[in-house]
Amino acid sequence: MRRWVSVFLGITLIAALVGCSGQSGTSSQPQGGSTQGTTQQSEQGTTSGTEQIKLVFWDTNNSGVLKDVVEQLAAEFEQQHPGVKVEHRGWTTEELQKSLQRAVSSGEGPDIAQINNGESSMGPMVRAGLLVPMDQYDEKYGWSKRIAAGLLARNRYTDDGQTFGTGTLWGVSQTGEIIGFYYNRQIFAENGVSVPTTFDELEAAFETFKQKGVTPIVLGNLDKWPAIHVYGDLQGAYTTLEYLDQLIYHQGNQTWETDDIIVPAQKLQEWVQKGYLMENFAGVGYDDAWKIFANGGGATLLAGSWLSGDLAKAMGENVGFFLMPDRDRPTVHVGGVGLPYGIIKTTKHQDLAAEFINFLVSDRAVELLIANETLPGLPIGDEHIKEGTLSGDLYRAWNYANQTNTVGHYMDWATPTFYDTLTASLQALMAGEMDPEGFARELQRDYAAFLATKQ
Amino acid sequence: MRRSSQRSSKSGGAEPAAAGSARIPGRSSVLARLEPHLFYLPALVIYALFMVVPVAGTVGLSLVHWDGWGAPSFAGLANYVAAFRDPLFWQALWHNLVLIPYYVVLPLAIGLVLAAVIEQLKLRGTGFFRFTLFLPYIMPGVLVGVVWRWLLNPVFGLVNEVLALFGVAGPAWLGDFKLALPTVGLIGAWAGYGFCFVVFLAGIQKIPAELYEAARIDGASAVGEFWHVTVPGLRGEMVVVLVANMINALRAFDVIWATTRGGPGRQTTVIASYMVENAFNINRVGYGAALAVILAVVTIALSTATLRLLGERK
Repeated sequence: MRRWVSVFLGITLIAALVGCSGQSGTSSQPQGGSTQGTTQQSEQGTTSGTEQIKLVFWDTNNSGVLKDVVEQLAAEFEQQHPGVKVEHRGWTTEELQKSLQRAVSSGEGPDIAQINNGESSMGPMVRAGLLVPMDQYDEKYGWSKRIAAGLLARNRYTDDGQTFGTGTLWGVSQTGEIIGFYYNRQIFAENGVSVPTTFDELEAAFETFKQKGVTPIVLGNLDKWPAIHVYGDLQGAYTTLEYLDQLIYHQGNQTWETDDIIVPAQKLQEWVQKGYLMENFAGVGYDDAWKIFANGGGATLLAGSWLSGDLAKAMGENVGFFLMPDRDRPTVHVGGVGLPYGIIKTTKHQDLAAEFINFLVSDRAVELLIANETLPGLPIGDEHIKEGTLSGDLYRAWNYANQTNTVGHYMDWATPTFYDTLTASLQALMAGEMDPEGFARELQRDYAAFLATKQ
Repeated sequence: MRRSSQRSSKSGGAEPAAAGSARIPGRSSVLARLEPHLFYLPALVIYALFMVVPVAGTVGLSLVHWDGWGAPSFAGLANYVAAFRDPLFWQALWHNLVLIPYYVVLPLAIGLVLAAVIEQLKLRGTGFFRFTLFLPYIMPGVLVGVVWRWLLNPVFGLVNEVLALFGVAGPAWLGDFKLALPTVGLIGAWAGYGFCFVVFLAGIQKIPAELYEAARIDGASAVGEFWHVTVPGLRGEMVVVLVANMINALRAFDVIWATTRGGPGRQTTVIASYMVENAFNINRVGYGAALAVILAVVTIALSTATLRLLGERK
């Protein structure tokens, strides 16, 4: 009997192995076929009554104001297009990529989805032929006339999927992002500090706060990634956009072992040693950190524009925003675009999908985003800027960075593994376990290993 | 086997119902022989679907290069070779081994002492103690992580507030390069001792009361009873607990992921977190699968060896 069972198990195992490898080996073709089958079926199902088209879009707006905004836009789009049903599904950022991977490879993906920029999703998807090129729609809707070229470049890849930041457009972003200092107006006033306009003034302000026992910069880095924005923004004061473009887009054989990287790493260690960063920041989570700031636990918080809604709600008029001031040259500010909306190749309604994406970045969309204290991916008209408010500060900063072409990059886009390398190295750097040169060497090691796989 | 032979002897008898099948003896004996297997067939199908297929799928994936999007390409054993050459893999494996004392020895000791104290002293409210002491074990690992992240928060967490009462400035705990791994180890011990506690509690019940009485007549103290009666009486349970805890140490993930995500730096990166990072976050699906297979092999080897060394000889 035992033999009998083991034979049976053996057969199942082999069958499973064969089945599995067969599936993965031929995933693109027969599954493409089954896609057509299912979509046709569902369409037949809906066309039986009136002519109905279903447009499905997936993104990371699974809660909060952004979910309300896109669903409001979807409802308005439905009204303008009788017979069209727009179905929204929001995921967490991590879930979206995993679910999209599974859905697209089993032919059940949405028509439109937010595609992670760079090598995490867009590059592999272009190479696998899973996205619809959007240049023709750019011509039709004129996106590149309204959106800054530097921002649109983040959604570009060459057709072979080999070069990032140039070539065909594969997606359009609805929102913008920029990193800067949120500051507590009351703490600034009580300590006689005004918003710094130069880098020296900034450090002087930190010294003043430190002397008076106020935490200069609130930070929580237990979740690993917040330091990317702190170091990145500081690094922006020591570099140029050209240098960063070359690194991120893998052009011009650049290396990370330069003063552009090492000097700000030294500066960051200096700030830690001088006590400019919150004590024990390494053991505090990101969400706890901004709440500590919101409760008056420090003078500034170096963080992203996506917190503005929450901070305005918690602090009212007491919070403002300013960008990292310039040193001897214009500072490049960490920032960019929200995840771009792209069209999945398996869609039956390409043109309609593009029209919907255009609606997501229309004037109406900008109006809704601003009403909800969110930063659109386009410059913002003066009529929306109110003095003395957080959003007013933020919109002015965003317009300034767009006009001066100083919107930089998230460094973790550099290679598929860079997030891991960068966060681990920054934690080591800030704990004094790694020196600035070793830090640059570690980044270069990751970068060189990735470039080697591309050749 | 015994059942089926009984059956066939019955059908060979004079009962009228069985007479029909007796006319085709070959078929009836095949059916009779198959019958017992049919009983576990449903379980086998479920087992195959949810165990064998995923395991085989993982092994299959470990043999390809795949970014999760395009078509996979066959890699042979390249992913395994890459793992053995990857210093981060060895570092992660080392962290797993460092966690073994925290996940195995500590919970075992805590569970043993608590079970002995509660059973031997026959305290009032045993039920209450059993329930509350078991509670950490039934909490999901992620929740345990969230709770401890909060308790250990250096700005407003309870642990550092208590330390501050004694004039001690608490460290960053989970963010400290030297303390992070011991800290997640201790959290793991806290989350795991409940299992040992309950197994030992059950085990003590089956130790004959006469042994305790005899020991007491011989003048043994409570500590003496513990060492000479309770501990030897729980040998079998200890082996079970040891192996189960060791497996937990090797596959440690949820508490770590919920507290440090493998940081600071890579101080708390273990094989399972490194695997998840590779397979899901940085699109190295094949490499992640290879790590999973290696982890499974190491786990099977270590737990088999432990059972061989300590298991009861028949």
